[in-house]
Amino acid sequence: MKEKKGMTKAEKNTAAWAYLFIAPTMIGLLVLNFYPIFNTIYQAFCKTGDFGLGNTFVGLANFQSLTVGANASEFWQSLLNTVKYAIIEVPFSVAISLVLAVFLNRKKMHGVTVYRTIFFLPMVCAPAAVAMVWKWLYNQQFGLINNLFGVNIAWISDPKIAWISIGIIGVWSIIGYNMVLFISGLQEIPGDYYEAAEIDGATGIRQFFSITVPLLSPTTFFIVQTRIIGALTVFDLMFMVMDKTNQALPQVQSVVYVFYTYAFTNGNKGMGAAVVCLLLIFIMIITAILQSCEKKFVFYN
Amino acid sequence: MKLKKLAALILALAMVLSLAACGGSSSGGTTTGDSSTASGSDGYTTSSLTVNIWDTNQQAGLQEIADEWTETSGVSVNINVVDWDNYWTLLEAGVSGGDMPDVFWMHSNTSQMYMENGVLLNLDDYIAADDDIDLSNYYDGIVELYSSDGSQYAVPKDHDTIALLYNKAIFDEYGIDCPTDDWSWDDVLAAATAITEAGADDGVYGFAMNTSNNQDGWYNLVYGYGGEVITEDHKDTTIDSDEAKAGMEMMRQILEVSVDQTTVAETGTDSLFMSGKVAMITQGSWMVYSFYTAENSADYYWAEIPYCDANGNGTCDDGERVSSYNGLGWTASYNTSDPQAAYDLISWFCNYDNQVKQAELGVTMAGYVGADEAFSTAFGDMDVSAFLKVEEDGTLFFRPYTRNTTVWEDALQQTGAFLDAWLDPSDPDLMSQACDNAATIIRDAIAAE
Repeated sequence: MKEKKGMTKAEKNTAAWAYLFIAPTMIGLLVLNFYPIFNTIYQAFCKTGDFGLGNTFVGLANFQSLTVGANASEFWQSLLNTVKYAIIEVPFSVAISLVLAVFLNRKKMHGVTVYRTIFFLPMVCAPAAVAMVWKWLYNQQFGLINNLFGVNIAWISDPKIAWISIGIIGVWSIIGYNMVLFISGLQEIPGDYYEAAEIDGATGIRQFFSITVPLLSPTTFFIVQTRIIGALTVFDLMFMVMDKTNQALPQVQSVVYVFYTYAFTNGNKGMGAAVVCLLLIFIMIITAILQSCEKKFVFYN
Repeated sequence: MKLKKLAALILALAMVLSLAACGGSSSGGTTTGDSSTASGSDGYTTSSLTVNIWDTNQQAGLQEIADEWTETSGVSVNINVVDWDNYWTLLEAGVSGGDMPDVFWMHSNTSQMYMENGVLLNLDDYIAADDDIDLSNYYDGIVELYSSDGSQYAVPKDHDTIALLYNKAIFDEYGIDCPTDDWSWDDVLAAATAITEAGADDGVYGFAMNTSNNQDGWYNLVYGYGGEVITEDHKDTTIDSDEAKAGMEMMRQILEVSVDQTTVAETGTDSLFMSGKVAMITQGSWMVYSFYTAENSADYYWAEIPYCDANGNGTCDDGERVSSYNGLGWTASYNTSDPQAAYDLISWFCNYDNQVKQAELGVTMAGYVGADEAFSTAFGDMDVSAFLKVEEDGTLFFRPYTRNTTVWEDALQQTGAFLDAWLDPSDPDLMSQACDNAATIIRDAIAAE
């Protein structure tokens, strides 16, 4: 067993250099991430004055208002909305992009790079621009979708379907990103397995479910986990697509949208901070559950 | 080999150019100029001022007025437009971060909060030393709005009133008489009903309004029938009174024959009107320009805002024709680098000559009483005198505000308040209930201020 001793001069010197090199990142993290995080948690227990100045400590009053008090129905509804959005976005975007990735990973196909680019394009567009285009596609009076199919559906102002319409935009804009991750995962799978399976007479579909899906599970797990977090913090889609007076908004607005309303529209930073703290706790619980599932579903060969 | 050399040369050239461009733009920044750049004869310490506004339609006219000031003062003025919703978010962030524009617009929704926190420049001493500005020449309500604890923080920039806008082509097509200045809301209801019925096949409606049309919409009905959204002391509301409910009942009947709320939430009353789907809307004088420049503007006409026939005698009695009015104020940041220059620019915008010019250019009506006659003829063939006439034969009420107006104003637009009644206008009880809910929302919000 090695005994721990004080560092030699050379070691100290190395350590100093190491700290110097990570300093830019560390300082950035401390100033831009950690300070705001702790300040937000502190503000959640305060009633903030005008312009975010002058915090008065109010204990758990904000949390009480959000969970059982005056704002409870709005908050819980928004959490439900967010979960509903995630339920659409995550499974559909993962499934569709997995299938696309398998097709676009085949070397035999012509114009693979063109297709890859096309599917990845939504990812490089500004989310606000994407939302604006969809907003007009969905428009009840003049929208392309209603006019093309000769229907008259209030895609984004009927509370029953608005959350699905928003979810579709979410799926559409994230497919490309997931696909690229899947393709890189697919290329890690050795071709031997498929050759062996082919010799044994396995069909393409059988190969997909018996080889591709299990061996791709680390990538799938990573995508599912990051996408769930991404979906739970969605904001820009609702904000850009839906008007304030849209009656479907209460059934669609996400937790972050509620945070924005409290913190910025109404200037109540403390309440807004409490909303994001509750969201943080929720995301932590979801992540913990996912992590405990990891061993069951993920195969590392 | 040659190609490589050429490429390298081009790259180098591009780099030099981009560096030069960077240098150029940074010197045009808005930081306090050093003494060599301050060429102003009045000894200003800054070479430029940033101005923030939220209305694109006014940018060109205001820039023209500001440029004349630059000629004498030597201080350049950059007017930035930030849309209404982001304007306040940005300004509030600017206050927290200490980086505000030098000169900007103030609005009744937020003025109390800004003044009380001392983030606006106190203009008292500057106004006292200035011969061009005498606050008694401006609309009282606006002057009062921008004063706190006896100090003045903004000078009235403009004022606005409301009128009825109609599309003559639609009225002609269905053979219905066009609105006149003598119409009551009952007449509007009758015409809207007729047009909606006749236009059912074409998807044309008589009227359109949504819950966010408050200043230019349902506020006027509440006040016209004798209710108050916010009482005069800014501490209470009478929106649950019988008078206010009578106003909202009239609103409800009009809504029954208006474009449904799902459509309005997606397309907006202005767009619906301009695309010929709606025959009448109410609009504020600040919006004239966008209708004037619209494709079919020759079909658009303005009539005075209809009166509320509260006593049912069929004539417009005293106090039955009301229009909300509001006015923006020019204000400056407390930490502007050169308060004198900022104030002088405000004074320039607000002096009599430029208030007249502002009306002439069709930017807006003036904040200076009696300076906006030119506004009625500022739009060529489009007669906008309806906005001025209401001041003579009607009553103006100031746009309701409290210390934190946006909180209850936003809440009133949503479910639990008026939105439910807007969605189902066929049920009178729902509207009456909405008035009661609205009163609770407003009182709770005031209590929390």
